[in-house]
Amino acid sequence: MTEHADHDHEHHLPPKSSVKRWLVTTNHKDIGVLYIITSLFFLVAGGILAMMIRAQLWTPGGTLLGGQGYNQAVTSHGLLMVFWFISPFAFGLANYLVPLQIGADDLAFPRLNAMSYWVYLFSGLLFLTSFFLGSSLAGGWTIYQPLNVPAFIPEVNQVGSLATIFALMLFVAAVTMGSVNFLTTFYRMRAEGLRVRDMPLFSVSILLTVWMMLFAFAALLAAVILLSFDHLLGSVWFSTAEGGSLLWAHLFWFFGHPEVYIVFFPALGVMAEVFQTFSGKRIVGRKWFVIAMALVAIQSFVVWMHHMFLTAINLPIKTIFMATTIGISLPFDLMVFALIYTLAKGKIRFKTPFLFSFGALLLFILGGITGVFLGAVVLDYQFRGTYWVVAHFHYVMFGGGTALIGGLYYWYPKMTGKMYDEFLGKVHFAMFFVGFNLLYFPMFVVWETPRRVFDYAAEFTMWHRLATVGAFLFAASFLVMIYNMFKSLHSGEEAPDNPWEYASAGEWAVPSPPPLENYPGVPSYAGGKLSFLTRSEAADGGTVVEQEVAGTEQTAPDGGAIAHAGAAATTPTTDYAEELALEDEHADHASIWPFAISASAFVTFLGLSGISKAYFIWPFVFATGFMVAYFGIEGGRREGFGWIHPVVMALGGAIAAGGAYLLAIDKGGLGAAIDGASVYFWLTTVGAFMGAATLTQLGFEEFNVPEPAIAEQWPFEAVSNVKLGMWMFLGSDVILFGAFIGSYIFMRVGHGWTDWHHDFIPEAHVVLPGLINTYLLLASSFAVVLALVAARQQNRRRLLGYLITTFLLGVGFLINKAVEWEHLFHLHEGAFADGWTFTTNIASSSFYITTGLHGAHVAVGLLITLYLIVRAYNGAYLGEEEADTIEHFGLYWHFVDIVWLFLFPLFYIL
Amino acid sequence: MASTRLYTVIFVTLMAFSTAQALFEFTGILDRAYWFALGVIMVLSTIKATLVAGYFQHLVHEPRSITYLIAGALVGVLALTAGAAYSIL
Amino acid sequence: MGPGGISTEIAYVLGQTGGLSRTPADVFNTVYLVFLILGTLVGVVVIGYTLTKAWRYRDDGERDDESESDKVVRPVLGHLPTGSGGGKKLFVSFGISAVIVLSLIVWTYSALLFVDDTPPEVAAEGEEPLEIEVVGKQFNWEYTYPNGHTEEPTLYIPEDRPIRLKVTAADVWHNYGISEFRVKTDAIPGQTTTAWFVADETGTYEAVCYELCGSGHSAMRGDVVVMEQEEFEEWYANTTDGSTSASVNSDVTGDTDANANTNAADPAATEGEA
Repeated sequence: MTEHADHDHEHHLPPKSSVKRWLVTTNHKDIGVLYIITSLFFLVAGGILAMMIRAQLWTPGGTLLGGQGYNQAVTSHGLLMVFWFISPFAFGLANYLVPLQIGADDLAFPRLNAMSYWVYLFSGLLFLTSFFLGSSLAGGWTIYQPLNVPAFIPEVNQVGSLATIFALMLFVAAVTMGSVNFLTTFYRMRAEGLRVRDMPLFSVSILLTVWMMLFAFAALLAAVILLSFDHLLGSVWFSTAEGGSLLWAHLFWFFGHPEVYIVFFPALGVMAEVFQTFSGKRIVGRKWFVIAMALVAIQSFVVWMHHMFLTAINLPIKTIFMATTIGISLPFDLMVFALIYTLAKGKIRFKTPFLFSFGALLLFILGGITGVFLGAVVLDYQFRGTYWVVAHFHYVMFGGGTALIGGLYYWYPKMTGKMYDEFLGKVHFAMFFVGFNLLYFPMFVVWETPRRVFDYAAEFTMWHRLATVGAFLFAASFLVMIYNMFKSLHSGEEAPDNPWEYASAGEWAVPSPPPLENYPGVPSYAGGKLSFLTRSEAADGGTVVEQEVAGTEQTAPDGGAIAHAGAAATTPTTDYAEELALEDEHADHASIWPFAISASAFVTFLGLSGISKAYFIWPFVFATGFMVAYFGIEGGRREGFGWIHPVVMALGGAIAAGGAYLLAIDKGGLGAAIDGASVYFWLTTVGAFMGAATLTQLGFEEFNVPEPAIAEQWPFEAVSNVKLGMWMFLGSDVILFGAFIGSYIFMRVGHGWTDWHHDFIPEAHVVLPGLINTYLLLASSFAVVLALVAARQQNRRRLLGYLITTFLLGVGFLINKAVEWEHLFHLHEGAFADGWTFTTNIASSSFYITTGLHGAHVAVGLLITLYLIVRAYNGAYLGEEEADTIEHFGLYWHFVDIVWLFLFPLFYIL
Repeated sequence: MASTRLYTVIFVTLMAFSTAQALFEFTGILDRAYWFALGVIMVLSTIKATLVAGYFQHLVHEPRSITYLIAGALVGVLALTAGAAYSIL
Repeated sequence: MGPGGISTEIAYVLGQTGGLSRTPADVFNTVYLVFLILGTLVGVVVIGYTLTKAWRYRDDGERDDESESDKVVRPVLGHLPTGSGGGKKLFVSFGISAVIVLSLIVWTYSALLFVDDTPPEVAAEGEEPLEIEVVGKQFNWEYTYPNGHTEEPTLYIPEDRPIRLKVTAADVWHNYGISEFRVKTDAIPGQTTTAWFVADETGTYEAVCYELCGSGHSAMRGDVVVMEQEEFEEWYANTTDGSTSASVNSDVTGDTDANANTNAADPAATEGEA
């Protein structure tokens, strides 16, 4: 223990007893702990709301909360539990354990990992703040439309409702960062000899979960962004009678169904681990178990319309989605049977983790059977909107939660170095399991109770009271858990490295808790089992390894992946040992900027929740000016002044001054503008300035994260971590922009594709500005390509020249767009006498919001370009490897270009 | 890495295709044969996107698995668009 | 559940009993019953089996380790996983479950087709379906009869005659359902959905909103009065084109104020707007 503590000091990380440690840490284990504690906090918050709901239901038509209050309680309870508790709880475990299980010393991007956590925490705080801003969102966790657009939200509740929506948006941002990070880690940092399929099942389940998260949450992000613009700028996406409601339902459930598995898969992984350990058996049919999970992950994206069977969708599509829905239930049958058969011939020890996992299996069986009922569409029709659905998804989702609680007990000794109290654990389980069934089973019995309604038939009263009693027992069981956790932390028995007989995953081979760098040497599975090579041995190890891998090739039935593994193992070179030594010295573990950036985001979005439409853009204009100037200041201060720095500072000043000038014109004088600004405007401004400063600091911060010199990297051997991360991010961005474009296509099809132009779009909306912008953007893409060539050739002047060209072309794009918008806003054409603005119709809304979001991507790209220019001036990015940064920026910039290549025809020509 | 000359050829092609797309509107073909024009225009956009992704983003030189990653995302979002649009026809 | 026991019920849905008219409620109740029986059976068998195995193989320190362990390779810390046998058993059980689930769903598909549309045999047997337009609005239901008469918030319908509903919403997303008759459909602004049912007994029932629609959602329920056919005809004859009514039986319309938490069926409420 003490020697690990010493290690921590070597890495400039304050000790765990200091608050500062927890604010700056980027270590995956610290962050895992933070996630777990924070998610339990939100469990308590969501749980209190649940208690209020159950209390209201004590008698039919209870009056504890009132109509709006009750709706708020069910909405917040759903959102908090699904988003802020269950997934982050699972990801707390994943954060802690995945690197240990796959043999990595941390996640691929430690600062990004810290950022995910802090954004998650602050998104939750923003959610809780919304209760104090009039009202939290009250339209159900499914946020159906048009109930949740401003027209149907009472005036006093609008700020709080929008804050909730922004909280969700921030949460999605955190999830996306986390997904990119985990995927890169999984594919680039596995220990030598560890194939993807051979990872411990918990890691496998997390890998599949993050894949689903990467794509599914992008669709939710699209939906939430569109919704927030309906609030902020009065666009009419979801208030359009023709299709607005259904658009939301499609977007939401395209995310929402994978979300079910996103919630459940980590639990499945925990169950698999715990079943294997406590029955002393490898899981039955492991290969099929993994294949079944992968199938579910893929199929989860083509079942969403089964949540919409009673809407106006046509019969053929209902039939298709009925078929896919049944299809997705089958792999689960297989997984359940695999878990059950694993028990046979086992040596089962009924310790707390096993009790919870075993209980989870039983609950899931019940949830699964009642789910088959819902698969029969005739039954589904009648179950829609009733307690059958409520009971079913609690059995499934909190069935999963049950396993996760088991996971917490299972890994508690690893994380704290102390054993939990077994007796209290069993008491917790008994109360939990009885309470759970007492709470949710009666809901099946009185399933005819309408969901989210606090009035029900008098004859159901007894059952609802039973459920309420169960709920309080259930809640009380968590007090036992929390007490147990606290007590054991102080007075628990010391935990050995591996307290569980038959545990097999890598985390049990290191001390409890593990040291900062996780392993005593370089972990390797090349010999079929975990071994640690010392730093010096590792150099020779490469060749030994190669033989061992070659040896296994004959025995394994499927040679494909092994051939790859062999190829990777041969890569070590002679200066391998040196690289390892280097790695040891330079890994950083502390940065305050993730925390600071997330706090800025909190302030910004809090402000945006109440900002008026007329003031929306200005905080960002000023903050952009400030950020640009700050680039110049920081760049010059850190790397030496030159002519570029005053130019950039002046540019920043010009943006701010120009903004102030325009604002003054708009509001009739600067004084009037300031008088008219609300406190929300100032909050947004402060937040945006903080964001600009902290992001700049992050950009300039030296933070070294060495890539492992030897690792299993199939199937992404030939790319760097950063590049792979960039591509993963772009993958989710494909879904984001695809969903925007898809929304436009959906609404246009709903209206009548060819009538759209005639009905909604003024003559003045012409092709030419779009064509000019296409030229500008294509040229800027070309300039970025040339900049990369110049950087590789170490030609500083040409690199600088091409970057500046890119910047100017991008600015031209934005100016052209601004002129075009200004013209369209102030039209006086016949049908559009009041101009063609955000609020005019669905065509104007979709045009401005979609191309506007693209424009925002361009603006962000331009800020990055300026940053690159400032750095390049002092000689950064020159050389084969150094130029990678330019390439990664190029990936983003070209992507923005590609998006435009589709926006141009769709919004300008067709 | 491809040569600057190849990049230039691609750039010129991209500009030419964009002009061609706009010409469908300017020449009135769009009004006369809407669905035909729509097809050609979208095909042109797809080719342009493929060129940018393949060469400017160097996808042709990267491991094929990155292409699959992006293709997977595309398939997902096309499923969403097609499924949603079809459901209300 | 109708009379005649389960076998008749099943025969019903399989369409073997010809001549008997079915209603969506019959179909639902039969399918639900079959699912309930099979579901319970499967649940008891699977959970029973699981509990038995878990108990049988508990580690109480008494079992003879040697004989059992010979055949089982126990996991070892740090070892890569190797397959654990039992694949055949796994696939047999998986196959059985797949067959059960698939056949259940295929079987209910015909029921879906029946419920989704009024089949000709139903229309042929009884009278023409009575078509009523339903508009959901915060927090009430408004009904329009074929003669243009509108009624709110109570629905009056004849007994034993198919009722076809065309449902939409005036403001936000609602869901119209009468639990007793197993009829339910979404009420979405800008969209029209249809559903049909037959009320086979006179009396007063409730139409409830099943989709969260605002502060008055919990109170968004209206009476459904099922009358004998002649009585209905009489009532219907007294309604005139385009008239809106608070209603014959001194029933009342609820307050549609978005923030009010009124109960639509509250007899003390005010008169309708029109």
